[in-house]
This record gives sequence, structure tokens and C-alpha cells, in this order.
Amino acid sequence: MSVLDPPYEEDVWGPRRVRMVAAVLALVFVVIVGRSAWVVFNGPDRSADDAAPVEQVRRADIVDRDGQLLVTTLQGWSLAADPSAIWEVDEVVGALKSVFPNLNTTQMTQALSDKKRRFVWVRRGITERERRAVKELGMEALRFVEEPQRVYPNGALAGHLLGYTGVDGDGLEGIEKVYDERLKAGGDPLRLTIDASVQFVLEQELQAAQEQFTMIGAAGIVMDANTGAVRAIASWPTSDPRKRGDEPAEAKTNRAINVRPELGSIYKPLTVAAALEAGKLSVTDRFDVSAPVKIGAVTVRDPHPLPNARSVTASDIIVYSSNLGSSLIAQRIGPEALKAFLGDLGLLGGVQINGPQTASPLPPAEWNQTSMATVAYGHGIGVSPLAFAMTYTPFATGGDLVTPTFIESSDPAGVKRKRVMSRETAATVLAMLRRTVTDGSGKLAEAVGYEVAGKTGTAEKPTPDGYDPNRNITSFAAVFPASRPQFVVLVVLDEAEPRTGATRTASVTAAMIAGKVIARAAPLLDVQPVLGAPAVQTVSLQGTDGQGSEGVAQ
Amino acid sequence: MNRIVMVGGLVVVAGLAVAVYRAKLGAEETQGRIDGLKAEVTKVEKEIAVLKAEEAYLTRPERIGPIARERLGLEQATPGQYVAPEALKQRLGEERLTLPPTPEAAPVAPATDGPAEQ
Repeated sequence: MSVLDPPYEEDVWGPRRVRMVAAVLALVFVVIVGRSAWVVFNGPDRSADDAAPVEQVRRADIVDRDGQLLVTTLQGWSLAADPSAIWEVDEVVGALKSVFPNLNTTQMTQALSDKKRRFVWVRRGITERERRAVKELGMEALRFVEEPQRVYPNGALAGHLLGYTGVDGDGLEGIEKVYDERLKAGGDPLRLTIDASVQFVLEQELQAAQEQFTMIGAAGIVMDANTGAVRAIASWPTSDPRKRGDEPAEAKTNRAINVRPELGSIYKPLTVAAALEAGKLSVTDRFDVSAPVKIGAVTVRDPHPLPNARSVTASDIIVYSSNLGSSLIAQRIGPEALKAFLGDLGLLGGVQINGPQTASPLPPAEWNQTSMATVAYGHGIGVSPLAFAMTYTPFATGGDLVTPTFIESSDPAGVKRKRVMSRETAATVLAMLRRTVTDGSGKLAEAVGYEVAGKTGTAEKPTPDGYDPNRNITSFAAVFPASRPQFVVLVVLDEAEPRTGATRTASVTAAMIAGKVIARAAPLLDVQPVLGAPAVQTVSLQGTDGQGSEGVAQ
Repeated sequence: MNRIVMVGGLVVVAGLAVAVYRAKLGAEETQGRIDGLKAEVTKVEKEIAVLKAEEAYLTRPERIGPIARERLGLEQATPGQYVAPEALKQRLGEERLTLPPTPEAAPVAPATDGPAEQ
């Protein structure tokens, strides 16, 4: 070894290698310890969970005001097929036809013949019985797919209002459509104002009406006059949401919301209220309705003579339903004032209902003497029954128009109210309505203990050739109980003719049905019957005999 | 000294590796239990939904009305069955009169507010 040689050559690299290995090991140690500490203090890495599929939100239930379930979502089954696994398409289609008789075999054969496809829907939303029947077929190419299904435990009850969803869960009609986004978001049930028991009573009475009268349709509404809460709304023929619109057209039509009939004389109290409010009418004023009068281009006459027709009061005009008297009253205020008043009542549109919207009204094309004379007794103007029912709320609330709502709310501030007439006017007209039931055309509407106050309406149906005297819309609009009004009821019957051959006026058709509805619905609505003489203010109404009569008012 | 540190470090690393492995296994087991519970919750929720639907189906007015009428003899309340509050006291008194006397009640003086005293 030379002195020039580096000393301990092999020892120079030895410590360096050791240090390097130690450094690497130390680094690994630090990484492992660091990672362990991270896991200990921060938990496992959940980034994988973020990529997990989000569970489908369950569509919210719909319940009535008491929480009774009206619509819910349950897991159901749909049937699909794998065309690539089918050898004999005709055999499969034939077997499916035995389970689903209305299966479109041509379409299904075509779909299942496409061997490139691995998935074809056969039927969405099958019943348990159908599922069992398909299982018994024992075909491997058929498979069941679990899907949420809307279920209606009450069957067709409130079917028109509730509406239905499509196979993909989208709301297509009624509440299901109007509140589709809210229901899709899931969460708490959507609580309606509907009372299932009252709804049942209303639907049952409309059905029973069909047994007493031949008729092509009917509608009914029960509404809380003070809150606007619609407790029942029905259209006959009924619609079954479970059929998802696969029904005849007459059953699909919601006659309470989507039709705009001319409703006839139930407009007369509105005409009287308009004139009273304008200061152009007094309860003691008298009119001669004994002979026809030409107003504008129309000659107005009463189809039936009134008692003491040469001298009748506004009350008599309501009680005995005088077309001529109503037109004469309207003449005092003129077409523009009548239009403005009816507009205030929402009969010309612009009312935003918390729920399904009503069909747009059909007002007269021009407001002149002629249209004014006919609108005064409910001809020449068409609105939905729901829109009209609202116009009787001022008679119950002392002058406030209350907008209908279908969503239950405990917040009194949510009630939409608008002052449309004075308390005196409301009380006066209410007294006339009560007298109509006790003494006039609405006697059959009386429900013992519930002081029905209302008005009949019989309107000939318009045709391209004029009005048809053989086809009527009969209606009855009511407020009860008259001494402390709480509810508005409206019944509308389309072409109702008593099977007994009796006259087809509202006094024997719609009035009777309204009375039956009130008698059964009032206890369910916690309306206390009037026991003995009501302690209420009375309004003096001058009658045809000149002696005056008294009507119950607020 | 270095050797001791090295060996010690290796033992610690091995221990930590085992601990992390066990922690991972435990986490997977816990996750499995959570998934199982979630599935059970979903299943129970579905069962509750079915039960609620069945309850609504069985209590629908169309079905309950006839049952209440035929089996329980219940009818809808008529206005005549309502009583004003001021008449309630008298009515209660009348009903008390119709009650058969119990052995214990027999020697007891009649109630002071009942019609029996009048």
C-alpha cells in the first residue's frame, strides 16, 4: 500500500451505503408513520363513496287535511325482455298476449325480433297477479325490473283532482302535475285541503244523482268560505288515476275546473249585490215584471209568472228567480259597472288559485245593453264551477272574496281575501238567499238544522243555432249555515232530467242534490246544527205581499 | 447502536403495517355493517309504506261506512242528537237517574246537583 493510496478504501463506501439505506428506510418509516397518523386522525379515504350512485328520491306522498293517505309510492315491478335470448319470437309474444290481452302484438313482435337489442320494455308497472302469471310462463328471456309505482289506496276518490303520473314518474295531470317538482323532491307529504270523507260524500251523491236523473255530467264543490280551503271537489263521471288517462273522454274531463258552462240564475244574487253596492237599488224598490221588456237587442221575459208580478222587490226577483227583474236591476247600473263588479269577483279571469288553475272564463265579446241584460241572469258568460263558487264567499264572510286553495296551511296570513262589497250588502243578499230556500225555488236544498241559503240556476245550453230549450245546465249555489256562514257549496248538473218525468229545472235537480250533500257533509265538517231559534241579526226584506219578510243574516 | 435502531425501526414499521391492515379490515367490516343497516332501513321503510297504503286502503270511506253501519250500528249524527251546552247538565242528570244503584252506592246520599234531589 502506497502512502498516496487513499486509506481504508473499502471502509469509505461502507458507511456511505449504510447511511443511504438508513435514509431510505427512514423515509419509508416517515411515510408509513405519516400515513398511519393520517388514517388514525382523518379516517379512511372516502373518495370512492363520492362516486357511488345516488339513491333515487322517493316521490312524496299526498294526504288529505287529516293526514289520510291519498297517494303514495311503493316498489312495483315492470317487465322487460332480452331479444338476443329469444329463439321463437312468436311463441313469446303469444304467451305475453295471454297475460296482457291488450298487448300490441305487431309492435312487440317487431321489437323482440331485433336481435341486436339486449333490453326491451314489455310492460311498465305490472300488477302482482300479472307478475305471477309471467313467472308461470317460465321464459328465460323475460326479466322483472323493480321500479317505484304511484299507488292510490282510495281508488278513484278525488281522481280528477289528484291526477296521475306517467310510467317514468312525471306528473301528467291534476295535483301530480301542478306540484310535480315539489313531489319529486320527496320529503314530507303534500297536505291537501281536501277532506276524504266529505269528498266521498260529494262523489257518492253525484253518483246517486245519476240514478235519479238521466244526465251526461255533474260537478260539485264544498269550500270553506273563510279560508278558501276546498274540502271536496268532484266531477262525474269519475276518473280513476290508476288507469293513467286510459279512459273515455267524458271521464277525463274535470267538469269542476276545466269546463265553462253558462250557469244561469245563480248569477242573479251577484247582479243584485252589484246594484246594492252601487247605491242604485234599495230592498224596498219595486219592479214590474209582468210583461216582456226589450233591452238592447234582446227581449227578456220570465218563463214562469211571478206572484204579484206588477210589483216585486229585489228579494222576490231572487226568491222566485225572475230573469226580467234581474235584467231591470242590471239596467240601473249599466254594462260597465256590472262588468267591473263581476271582474272584482274574479269572473273575468286573473285569479291565481293555489292548486290546479281553472279554465279561462268566456265573457261576452262586447259589454253592451244586450250582453248586460243576459249576463244579469247568467247567460252569455261562462266560467268554471270552481271560479263561480268563489263568488259566493263574500255572502258568507261579510263582503270579502276568498280565493280557493287546495294546499292546507295553518297560517291565517296565507288566506287571499279581497273586499268586494260592504257588510250590509252581503247580509242583505244572504238573507235573500235564505228566503229562496225557505219560501222559493230552493226548498229541496234545505238540510234540517243547517240553514241553507242558496240560489237555483237553470240555463239552456248554447248551440251554434242558439239556445236549446231541451238541454239544460242546472245548478245550485249555497252558503250554510245562514246565521253563521262557514261553507259554500255548488252543484252543477249537465242535462239532468228526472227519471220520474218531473220538470228538469234546478229546483228539483241540483237543489235536491246540494241539500243532500250539505246534510251529510255538515257533521263531517264539524258544523254545529242550529238548535232552536238562531240568535242572529235579521234583515228586513220587502216581499210580494207588501207585508215584508225577514231573512236570516249575519 | 445503529443496528438496534434499525431493528427497532423495522419492528415498529411491521407493527404499524399490521395495525393499518387491521384498521382497514375493521373499516371494511364497519362499512359492511353500515350498508347492511342501510339496506335494512330501506327495507323497513318500504314495509312501512306498504303498511300505510294498506291501512289507507282498509280505512277508505267507501269501506268503513258500510262496516260501521252494519256491524256497529253507527249512523251519521243528526241535528237532533246535538245538545246545547246549557242543556247538557240537565241531560247528564237524567242519565244519572237511569243508572241502576250499585251495592256500594245504595247507602250513599244522592248527589247534590242531580235531579234525584229535586
